[in-house]
Amino acid sequence: MAYATSVGWAEAPLRRFVGDARVELAVLLHPSGQVLAQVGFQRALDVQTACALSAAIHATSGQLGRLVEGAPFRGLHVGGEARQFYIGALPVRGSEVLLLAVFDMESSLGIVQLYLEELRAGVAAAAPLLEAPTEPALAEDFERELDRNLAKLFGRAE
Amino acid sequence: MSAFAGIVQAVTRHRGVVACLIVSADDGIVVEGTAHVGVNTAAFAALTASLHRKATRAAAAAAFGTVQVLDLEAEEGRVIAAGQGGLLVVAVTDARANFGLVRVELLRAAAGL
Repeated sequence: MAYATSVGWAEAPLRRFVGDARVELAVLLHPSGQVLAQVGFQRALDVQTACALSAAIHATSGQLGRLVEGAPFRGLHVGGEARQFYIGALPVRGSEVLLLAVFDMESSLGIVQLYLEELRAGVAAAAPLLEAPTEPALAEDFERELDRNLAKLFGRAE
Repeated sequence: MSAFAGIVQAVTRHRGVVACLIVSADDGIVVEGTAHVGVNTAAFAALTASLHRKATRAAAAAAFGTVQVLDLEAEEGRVIAAGQGGLLVVAVTDARANFGLVRVELLRAAAGL
């Protein structure tokens, strides 16, 4: 079973995670790059960019993991001068939800990892079931759904 | 055996010590350690390192210099941390532990990091 890629349902567990782990920015996204929830971003374009890059990084590191040890790497941590980020996969209902978390010295990798399981459980509990599609998914639908999700996230949806 | 095994052994031989961890101060990740069954070492490491970072900032703001020992005393146990060079030695004790002895051992261990 998978989960619906509409926005709204993942916001509550993500906000709880951001408060507990004291991260600056966080995005939950489908491995395809579609945003499910975000906290801390100011512009839709930044969310879109972050999701695309995170999905690509996760796909790449997953392949590296398969090459190195036969299984995809589950998480990636990068430390910068003032900020760090973590990209991790949360197993949900036989599928995956990706997390991008950006944090500064108010948090740490250990703290982020500590609250990951709670986030995973919250997302799994909140995820609405995906209804069986009646027609095949098209690339043009992806872009339209992405734009609609971003508009909803930034309060511009009808 | 890792370079820190001797430090961990020296601390855990004291009665009442239920865990001793060498923790990265910045990341809150366990580097080396041992613990009784049921002790959540990842949680202790992450949260203690976070507390230590905040205590360091508070001490710096007050111009008190570096934090030498961080001691969290609770109803049924204690968490003590000391460190240098980006690493912390964290001891988790129950109520039976001789706090003075453990503190001395921890300071000695931190000097050896």
